[in-house]
Amino acid sequence: MNDRRVLSRRSFLIVSATAGASVLVGGGIFAYRRLLQRGDEPLAPSTRPDVWVRIDTDNTVTVTVAKSEMGQGVRTSMAMIVAEELDADWSQIRVEQARAHPQYGNQFTGGSESTRQLWAPLRTAAATARQLLVTAAAQTWQVDTTACQTGDGYVVHGATGRRFSYGQLAVAAASLPVPETPPQLKHVADFKLIGTPTARIDNPRVVDGSAVYGLDVRVPGMRYATVARSPVFGGKVASFDATQTKAAAGVLEAVQISTGVAVVGETTWAVMLGRAQLKVTWAEGPNAQLSSESILRDLLAQAQPLELKAPVARTLEAIYTLPYLAHAPMEPMNAVADVRADRCEIWAPTQNPLAARDLVARLLNLPADAVTVNVTLLGGGFGRRLESDYIAEAVEISKAVGAPAQVVWSRDDDMRHDFYRPASQHALRAGLDEAGLPVAWSHNFVTPGISWHVKPWLVASMDLPYTIASVNQDAIIAPQPVPTGTWRSVHRSQTTFASEGFFDELAVAGGVDPLALRLRLAASPRMQRVLAMAAERAGWGGPLPAGSGRGIACLYDYGSFIAQVVELSVADGQIIVRRVVSAADCGIAVNPRTIEAQIEGAVIDGLATALSAEITVQGGQVEQQQLSDYGWLRISAVPRIETYLVPSQEEPGGVGELGYPAIPPAVANAVYAATGKRIRRLPIRLAEAG
Amino acid sequence: MPSITVTINGQRQTIEAPPDMPLLWLLRDLVGLSGTKYGCGVGVCGACVVHLDDEPVRACLTPVALVDGRRVTTIEGLSAEHSHPLQQAWLAEDVPQCGYCQSGQIMSAAALLAKNPHPGESEIIAAMENNFCRCGTYQRISRAIRRAAEEAGK
Repeated sequence: MNDRRVLSRRSFLIVSATAGASVLVGGGIFAYRRLLQRGDEPLAPSTRPDVWVRIDTDNTVTVTVAKSEMGQGVRTSMAMIVAEELDADWSQIRVEQARAHPQYGNQFTGGSESTRQLWAPLRTAAATARQLLVTAAAQTWQVDTTACQTGDGYVVHGATGRRFSYGQLAVAAASLPVPETPPQLKHVADFKLIGTPTARIDNPRVVDGSAVYGLDVRVPGMRYATVARSPVFGGKVASFDATQTKAAAGVLEAVQISTGVAVVGETTWAVMLGRAQLKVTWAEGPNAQLSSESILRDLLAQAQPLELKAPVARTLEAIYTLPYLAHAPMEPMNAVADVRADRCEIWAPTQNPLAARDLVARLLNLPADAVTVNVTLLGGGFGRRLESDYIAEAVEISKAVGAPAQVVWSRDDDMRHDFYRPASQHALRAGLDEAGLPVAWSHNFVTPGISWHVKPWLVASMDLPYTIASVNQDAIIAPQPVPTGTWRSVHRSQTTFASEGFFDELAVAGGVDPLALRLRLAASPRMQRVLAMAAERAGWGGPLPAGSGRGIACLYDYGSFIAQVVELSVADGQIIVRRVVSAADCGIAVNPRTIEAQIEGAVIDGLATALSAEITVQGGQVEQQQLSDYGWLRISAVPRIETYLVPSQEEPGGVGELGYPAIPPAVANAVYAATGKRIRRLPIRLAEAG
Repeated sequence: MPSITVTINGQRQTIEAPPDMPLLWLLRDLVGLSGTKYGCGVGVCGACVVHLDDEPVRACLTPVALVDGRRVTTIEGLSAEHSHPLQQAWLAEDVPQCGYCQSGQIMSAAALLAKNPHPGESEIIAAMENNFCRCGTYQRISRAIRRAAEEAGK
């Protein structure tokens, strides 16, 4: 390394011999160690500027992004937050992906929480860096800091018009102590970049093929590997014969690992062919007769409607049913591991780098800081990549063969060895008063759940966006052998279909327009606003051709509000979705462009899972193998999708999952409007609907 | 090991490879061009579309033996500095989300526009129907293809 590091108690300066001076503003690694020694909240994201932003003498500003990019535009929006508070010019901004490290907080990229979690720390860090730059300039000019302004990457002395670029000030600023009191943050009204639709920072590399995803990682001496796993959940290797496999060109080894038999070789193709020639006898275990239909029957048997805790004039009941779903990101699971005696380096498309680091450290009995986790771009995540199973496989293989190894899952592996969105049964019961208004509501949510999720989370996912006098909600977790995990919007993907569909039933039963009832009972004026906006833009109540209908549904979660209207027609038993209008209030919209894109994408997820997608299990194995037989949407099924954002100065809310949960019930409600058939099970099978 | 001679993105190369190896893995594992993506390996998803001579093909279903003596164009060779009208339109419409399928989407669209510079909506859908996008960028893909066609017509 040609870096000369000059360290002091209060500053951390790197002077590079090749690229000029490169400066980490503020106090670095020592601050982190102190934080750990104090033992309090080791996972709170640092607010120190040097953790998040580096200013180089060539006037580039490099923002460290600690959340994983999986299509939500997080590398752009995180950089925008820093650039705004730093008063940098957007053209001087670069981004660097953080490796796993607790100084960034938990780095967990899920729960629609990236912006909510890092909004304050990033702003504080960037404002502190800005303050240090101003101080450095003021000291040089021998003027008061209050006589200096910042803008577009410069500090300017107003009275004389003198100015320094941030690059010119970087070295001087780095030698200054970080102020004890956090600086004043900008007023919302002064934002210049936040709220401006901004093109995604990674897209130029996406459109020319140079963007690096997990599968694109190449490490010197790297082997390729693929794993034969038991098709039946919970099955184990009884024995295997790799004679033919090992004779195949390009195959080097076949080794048993925890999840099956890994075939290791010189190219991806060689190991895929080698795996096809492997003869494995599986001990299938107790799940060989398991089916998704039997699971749904088991869940149904426990789905008893709950008591209504207020007097009512009329009672309604219904059961809502949801299937298992796969994540099926375009980039199948993969990871590279390089295991050495005293350390390990990982390259992985992971949503959960810190959890991966800790898992690898445990597997190899290494201290956590001997494990380096590099995060690549993710070819889709949707919650699947919060798990680290594929990383553990790469570690086992690299250790077994004594070389860096990339484990590659086939599409079939990916579809059949997911951590699936669990199936569920929902028993709904509600009561109307004499006027036909809902006054009591109950919802019993029965699901295999997700192993690390506790019941209160499931119950919280049933929260209604309405004020109803008496609400009684409960969840029953009934584990099943099918592995389950977080899928875009997690339990909301289940509970919202049930509650927003049933709410529509109450409106119809009470003789009230479904929009009018929602507006009347909405618990927040912000919800009323998005409902009204979606309805207005969608032409709610306007004339439609025969056989057509509109449905509406809404959601409040992640600190954000959304209402969505689906317009569709039904002819010859076929549903054709014509138009989807979404209106969202997600507080301050950091990058409206990526927010709109996230909602558009979530709408497609919603339509796919309403109309066709499901995972079924037969003989203890998943039946689907491709995006096509899974029922994912193609371009021909895509309607006109419009997304509107309500201007807001509230704190930013979450967005990644926001656009999903209300779409399936809006589709179901639109089918009812078009046909009179009430849809209570997904995916929709019109012939079976009542 | 047998070898083939193929012109990839304008560069003629002789490469040792098993004749039944799909072009996808020749590009990714032997040549080091990783812009062409693996999504399914059975021709369903379209993430691996490249041009063989000037026809769009699925690299995962195209054995190396078939490309001997021919021209292959991948996303890396579509243009210099992402200057192809489709790449420009993809940027203008901010099409990519995760971006993993987009090389294949762009190569399918480029083959369409090369044959039919002003496709109608139904022609766009027919050409793009077998390119999956799990992020749901389809609406922007259609818009970007229309934009590129309009820009090229100016």
